[in-house]
Amino acid sequence: MSTQINKLEKHGHLPFLMLLRLAWRNLWRHRKRTLITLSSIAVGFGFAVLSIGIGDGSHNSMIRNAIKLGEGHLTVQPRGYIEAPANHKYLADGLTLSEKLESINLAGSIEPRISLRVLASTANNSVGAALEGLSSATDPRVDMIKPQLLKGVWLKPGDARGIIIGAGMASKLKARIGSKVVLMAGKKGGDSQAQLGRVRGIFKSQVPEMDDYLILSDIQLARRFLQGEGADVIKQPVTRFAIFIDDPDTMYEWKEKVKAVVESDQVIAMDWQEMMPQLVQFIIIDDAGNYVFLLLILIMVIFGVLNTVLMSVLERTREFGLLCALGLSRRHLLTLVFCESFIMGLLAIVVGWIAGGGVHFWFSQDGIDFTAIMGEKGTIMMGTFMDPIVYPELSWDRISQLTSIIFVATLGSGIYPAIKAARITPVEALRT
Amino acid sequence: MALLTLQGISKRYRQGELEVNALADINLTVEEGEFAALVGPSGSGKTTLLNIIGGLDSPTQGTTQLNGTDITTLKEAQLSDFRLFQLGFVFQSYNLVPVLSALENVELVMVLQGRHKNECHERAEHYLELVGLKDVVHRRPTALSGGQQQRVAVARALAAGPRLVLADEPTANLDSENATALLDIMHTLSHEEKTTFIFSTHDPRVMDRAERIITLQDGKIVSDERHHHEHKV
Repeated sequence: MSTQINKLEKHGHLPFLMLLRLAWRNLWRHRKRTLITLSSIAVGFGFAVLSIGIGDGSHNSMIRNAIKLGEGHLTVQPRGYIEAPANHKYLADGLTLSEKLESINLAGSIEPRISLRVLASTANNSVGAALEGLSSATDPRVDMIKPQLLKGVWLKPGDARGIIIGAGMASKLKARIGSKVVLMAGKKGGDSQAQLGRVRGIFKSQVPEMDDYLILSDIQLARRFLQGEGADVIKQPVTRFAIFIDDPDTMYEWKEKVKAVVESDQVIAMDWQEMMPQLVQFIIIDDAGNYVFLLLILIMVIFGVLNTVLMSVLERTREFGLLCALGLSRRHLLTLVFCESFIMGLLAIVVGWIAGGGVHFWFSQDGIDFTAIMGEKGTIMMGTFMDPIVYPELSWDRISQLTSIIFVATLGSGIYPAIKAARITPVEALRT
Repeated sequence: MALLTLQGISKRYRQGELEVNALADINLTVEEGEFAALVGPSGSGKTTLLNIIGGLDSPTQGTTQLNGTDITTLKEAQLSDFRLFQLGFVFQSYNLVPVLSALENVELVMVLQGRHKNECHERAEHYLELVGLKDVVHRRPTALSGGQQQRVAVARALAAGPRLVLADEPTANLDSENATALLDIMHTLSHEEKTTFIFSTHDPRVMDRAERIITLQDGKIVSDERHHHEHKV
């Protein structure tokens, strides 16, 4: 069995399986210590997952409500309208634009709308208002406001005089169901025009600004103002198309398609983030709070792993000396200790996701009721509101983001112990 | 040609304010297949000399040639490879990797050498059988006695096929029976495998088995005697 190996023949190498075997067993030398570290990481990770999930769930709730109450995922409107809204800025040929939008077979709905700044007057008072002419009973804005109707009935199809107003406005105008409201709008040349509306219903939403300011009508009533501006009713003029996409994740794909068919010098297609930059800013700032929490979790993870792996390295000084004597290079020792951190990281992520994912799944089914904190109407911010029952949400992006952050933190915390192990001098190590 | 040639080896190191001469002008030649003991009182430089021969420590002066290679000129990574392919080590205690079984401990060096898995396994089993540990191959070091652990270390050192095995007081922590058994195994395998053994000791039982006794005192070789022993097979 004698085999003499020529010294020049080969270099030593530590096969991956042997590396894994050694690293795995080293990790479990102190079972309790490893379990405690893993548990603390898992608990922290669970809190991070829940916290991020609640943050994302509440933000998404606000975004969904803002999109439904607002102008959809995508909005097609006159170029320059958002910078300087005016009643005379409208899409004169709504019919052609509508046909173009229909041609891309969008998975969602396209709602023609007319938004105008008007003065609403009764015999008692006058208030500035936003008149929103809606084209169908299935408009998501109807879905949002119809359940909030306090008094009266919703608009019937083809009701060219009926209006729905908020409770705040009704109070200011001292208007009741059936009251006449004169809607007056300025024209491009400086003249004004007026239409008569009759209150069919009064709503009270979660957003007081809407209750004070919004008037809903059939699109026909609002279109009469555009007609007064010189629009050809046959071409079905509108001030915008609100586009609601079934799968919001595909918004950017649809945006490109919409832009391709409708954009011109006069027409622009925008997404909700461009339409509501203040909401985007708010979410970014609010997210920063979640990242601070995540940072605390990361610090816990880093110190947990650092403590476990470093202790394990310091305890094995003599063993590393032995391994050096047997022919393991510094590179091998560095790889071995780093591999221990790698396995620790993997375990932390698996355990963390089991704990965090479980908690997330539990709450994402039933939601977390924040009524006691927020009140029954939820929290109003940036012209939208957050539902009082928050369903934590985690996107795949978030999952991969959290996973990679924890994993990189775990690996990073293994660098110092690995370098320490690799710097061990065999003679001194064997003396210990 | 001699397997090992030490020329003018000196080792000095500082201990606080003092400069200690651990080794002074050591010249030594060891032929292939020798079973040699380094003896001398504590602090005479036995372990330092073994460490220098094994490339674990570097001399302040002098050269160490093993099989024609001057190991004092090798870089860190080359020294690791040199130890892996040319040398076997048996230390006084804590010789084994605690998380590996006896079999895996013996396989480890061969695995690092890049030998085929089956070859590693067969050789490890063979050498463990030679040292009388056939029945405990799957036990981890904590489940082995001190004597058994030393025998595993001997099996590991030999299974990797080294040119030279360095053993630093291998019997220091063993009782008489185990020490004698270990020496018998080392002596027998040294002849069977034609592997050179250099071991440090101040144990008279070990000296008695040695074919050559190199005595160190204050870092210098004070005698170098050859004895003839019939080895037991």
